[in-house]
Amino acid sequence: MKTKLLIALCFFCYTAKAQTDSLLATMENSETKTEPVTATFKSSHLILSQTTAMVKKYNLDFQVGHRFGDIGGVDGGSKTFWGFDNSSDIYIGFEYGITDRLNIGFGRSKYEQLLDLQLKYAALRQTTDDKIPLSMSLIAKTGFTPYEVTTDVFDNYADRFSYFVEVLLARKFSPRFSLQLSPNVLFRNVTLSPDDEKTLFSLGGAFRYKFTKRFGVVVDYNHVFSQYRKNNPNTNYYDPLGIGIEIETGGHVFTMNFVNAPAIVENNFIPNSTSSWLDGEFRFGFTISRMFTFHRTKTNPSNYEKR
Amino acid sequence: MKHFIAILFCFVFTQSQPPLYTCRSVTTTIFSEAPLENIDATSTKGVSVLNPATGELQFSIPINSYQFQKSLMQEHFNENYMESDKFPFARFKGKINEKIDWKTPGNYQVTVNGDLEVHGVKQARSINGTVSITNSSVTVQSKFTVLCKDHHIDIPKIVFKNIAESIQVTVKANYTPSTASK
Repeated sequence: MKTKLLIALCFFCYTAKAQTDSLLATMENSETKTEPVTATFKSSHLILSQTTAMVKKYNLDFQVGHRFGDIGGVDGGSKTFWGFDNSSDIYIGFEYGITDRLNIGFGRSKYEQLLDLQLKYAALRQTTDDKIPLSMSLIAKTGFTPYEVTTDVFDNYADRFSYFVEVLLARKFSPRFSLQLSPNVLFRNVTLSPDDEKTLFSLGGAFRYKFTKRFGVVVDYNHVFSQYRKNNPNTNYYDPLGIGIEIETGGHVFTMNFVNAPAIVENNFIPNSTSSWLDGEFRFGFTISRMFTFHRTKTNPSNYEKR
Repeated sequence: MKHFIAILFCFVFTQSQPPLYTCRSVTTTIFSEAPLENIDATSTKGVSVLNPATGELQFSIPINSYQFQKSLMQEHFNENYMESDKFPFARFKGKINEKIDWKTPGNYQVTVNGDLEVHGVKQARSINGTVSITNSSVTVQSKFTVLCKDHHIDIPKIVFKNIAESIQVTVKANYTPSTASK
């Protein structure tokens, strides 16, 4: 018994010599808590999809989106300078962080003169230890088309409204690669054709791959589950597909893209994408996002005194 | 009786070994002035170990514990500059050059030689600081400058007006004796 104790004590004394390193390592590890994964996406909008990226508390994201006309096909070519003379959609939007997890957004599109109001909630955030393997955000959006009509298309005022609900599921697999799947559903109160489904289910998929810290490519796709669109003898519908690059400069995020969908907001592009990549009916587009901060957390009072 | 002797032995042995001093709330600030916006962030989550017997002094600061005034700046600091997912800690491992009588209260100007590891890049540094000893506590304070290029922290040309190339760092740590040696 005594010898055992002595050995243990000797061992203790021996380790005490080299313990500065190991003690620091232990303290380092005990202080490391599970952290949410940040910057899965740089901006709240990719090309078609919105992302799980939230506008942080007291910040305002100002977004301008533009889609030019068809590059090729009937409306493209040199006579419209490959679409640059036309604009199929212009979007101006604001998104504000009520909290880090709850955002409110408002925007207006040229397409259908759509006004939209949305709430976005970050339900889950991926953590560094993978206890939560993915981020989940929920979007609820109301679209409203206020324009005057002479026909009876909106004989009921409520017909001007459409509602969009989406679940965004994203995972940052590596600092370079993030993937997002977004099942969503769009309810429209009125459709032009009686055969067209008022309730449209679709599934979005998007990824971002960064080549450098501030430059990456984005691919964005949305598949609409619709019998009416699949077997339509009169109009051909195509799934929206966008390919683009993303550049971040610290405060601004620029996305430049090519996309067949003429519209920017979900309520418009999900039901109305009749342009085909293969017929040259895709367009150049860009989105600019600028973040404004209205509130500064005080970090270190002593530094304020210096100024 | 046997147990009593064993406990006594433990007590004697741990006493003969001067205790290590630890701090679990090292306050560090980083500050730099730039034409467009100052960078100003604070972390209170660093850890430090001080070995009075050998003069060894070590720090480890989690990069993502720095709180910025602007949350977007904080995200860019971690994501674009420090790459905190790859290099989660800034560390310093050094040794105090001067002999200090740890039992006598007073302020001691010291120089610490060691390796500063930031962004995964180690730099041999000699850093000046103060050790303040009172009857109840030991405090270490220092102020020094870190150059971004020394630690391969790239500043792209497109944003260089926002970012200063040298960062002023202040460190303050209050130590308490640690008996746990695990």
